[in-house]
Amino acid sequence: MTDFLSQYSIQRWLEMCPQGYLEDTVYGHGPDQHEPEELLDNEVLREASIAVTVQLVAGERCALAASSGLVNAAPDYPSKRFLATQTLDEARHVEIFTQRLFDLGVKKDDLESTIQAYTNPNLVKFAEVLLEKVADGDFVAGVVGQNIVLEGMAFTVFELLQATSVEANPKFAHTLAGTIADERRHVGFGENRIGSLIRQHPEKRAEIERMQGEMSYHMLATFADVFGASGESMDEGRKMAEAHGVEPEATWHGADLAHASAEEMEAVLSDTVLKEFKVRLGRIGLEYQSPKVPA
Amino acid sequence: MEPHELDQDDFIAQVQSFEFWFEAVEGYLGDKPYGRDAEVPEPPLDDLERDALVTTLCNYCVGEAAALEASSGLVRLAPNHHAQIFLATQVADEARHLEVFLHRLAELGITDARAEVERRANPGLLAFKERLLRFVDAGDWEAAVFAQNVVLESMEDTVFRFHASVADPKTQQVLEGVVADERRHLGFGENDLGRRLARHPEDRERLAAVRAELDPLVLRSFEEAYEALGLGRDDRPSLGRDYLHSVERLGLTA
Amino acid sequence: MSDAAEALVEAAGDGAAPRRTFELEDTGFLEVPKRWRRFYRHWGGPDDELGPNEVVCPVCKVVIRSHRELRPGDKVYCMPCMSRMVVVARPDGRLEAEVIY
Repeated sequence: MTDFLSQYSIQRWLEMCPQGYLEDTVYGHGPDQHEPEELLDNEVLREASIAVTVQLVAGERCALAASSGLVNAAPDYPSKRFLATQTLDEARHVEIFTQRLFDLGVKKDDLESTIQAYTNPNLVKFAEVLLEKVADGDFVAGVVGQNIVLEGMAFTVFELLQATSVEANPKFAHTLAGTIADERRHVGFGENRIGSLIRQHPEKRAEIERMQGEMSYHMLATFADVFGASGESMDEGRKMAEAHGVEPEATWHGADLAHASAEEMEAVLSDTVLKEFKVRLGRIGLEYQSPKVPA
Repeated sequence: MEPHELDQDDFIAQVQSFEFWFEAVEGYLGDKPYGRDAEVPEPPLDDLERDALVTTLCNYCVGEAAALEASSGLVRLAPNHHAQIFLATQVADEARHLEVFLHRLAELGITDARAEVERRANPGLLAFKERLLRFVDAGDWEAAVFAQNVVLESMEDTVFRFHASVADPKTQQVLEGVVADERRHLGFGENDLGRRLARHPEDRERLAAVRAELDPLVLRSFEEAYEALGLGRDDRPSLGRDYLHSVERLGLTA
Repeated sequence: MSDAAEALVEAAGDGAAPRRTFELEDTGFLEVPKRWRRFYRHWGGPDDELGPNEVVCPVCKVVIRSHRELRPGDKVYCMPCMSRMVVVARPDGRLEAEVIY
């Protein structure tokens, strides 16, 4: 255990992040990269970007509270040290996505009211389920909720957002690339550390599986709300790309990003995240629970 | 532009940010794996010197583990997002300190650090840790910040600075990197409490009582630390002078 | 800031000689981001002679520097420890920094 955890040391973090993929970045992107003018000038796109970024800030605030809260509950020094780097990563994510809100024109004084206005209530419920486990000092459930479920969701959402931004918004794509690199470590720790703990505490399985089902339900409800309201902004984005002669050819998990409808995008995202959950949970010895489908 | 020309809110937002921390630690830790130049040779230590250094480092681990657990618990209590982000950087700093001291112990031949730390931990420091974590668990931001970022950090700062001045070159470099981090923590604690007490002077009495409760533990911890460093009573640096100045500035004198 | 410090600040009023300005060079202080490094240096202890553009931070004992000569009443920031201060003159004429919370 100790040998594997040595890969998750602070020293390794310093070598990978400040001296690695984050070197010479400012708020996670190149110093000369900016939000595209066309996006800032188009009210529909700007507001949609604010709405999406608010969900990222809300998710990262939850991750920051959860990872810092789990440090105390961790049973050994190496896990505490890894969770300390994760706490820092999550704080960085809160900061860079908050900065994106400012870059999109949100005034500093309006930050909290904007976040309150746009945060999806289902995402709040998703966070509450996790933070309850953390508050109880339940390390195993907390790490599954945080590093498998929340991070698994974030990882896939960031990948989708990055795929759709590579050509249209290189600044945002660059920011996301750094967060994806961070999430890889978090997801990896979750699987590697928790597998052995689940074997030691089989009695916790049922409760953790219930938590996963509940969190998955709130996640799907969030996706439904977000994509349900995104039709107009998706059309605007595509018009803008066409006007500039940009024809995105990318596909993501089989979906044609240039032509897929909001419903199709929601379906492919949900499907991808849930498949990931199933595989990851299986590897650590938990049975995936199919969530109820939100109405 | 001078930093002194910044608006106060912009100053706080800047210095409590991840970006600030990131660029700062890049400066003094960038080329120092585990806090020191890789090529610094292991100093020749006789058995007594080695044993004393191991005891001292084990107690540093107790202090840093306490700081790690307390600062991570404080993230959720932080009154605003700037403070929350700052505390996240402090969590990483404290974990790094724990890591570099554990690494130094391994270099000195300690294979089971956890058992060694438990065996050599000073009772005064353990009592302080226990009290600090109770403040955090109770959600008492003011008392916890005072105990952690003013008391514990001042104590560590004084001892680490002194130890760095007499330590072998390897331990010295490790300690200097830690002291550079402590500056941020000390400053955050004193300034946060200072601003609060300026707004709520009635809280001063309560914090003075917390101070009175912690002082004997602080004193005992200092004594134990200096004993481990092998200092006779006459050679000990003025006990916690910086700590006393700090509580004086906050108006927490008895 | 204490009342005494306030009075000293007020006493240092108009009619003073123009301030001297200084070119600041990086002195190897690495604990803040690059663009701010020249505004701070390590303190060498009580024997360290301070320039007219320098004061010691009472919280973290780093020397705070400015492009211009410091005068009582000037506000300075210590970035390494995040403190905000006002410069005050002591009766012997020395400049010191007092923390403003």
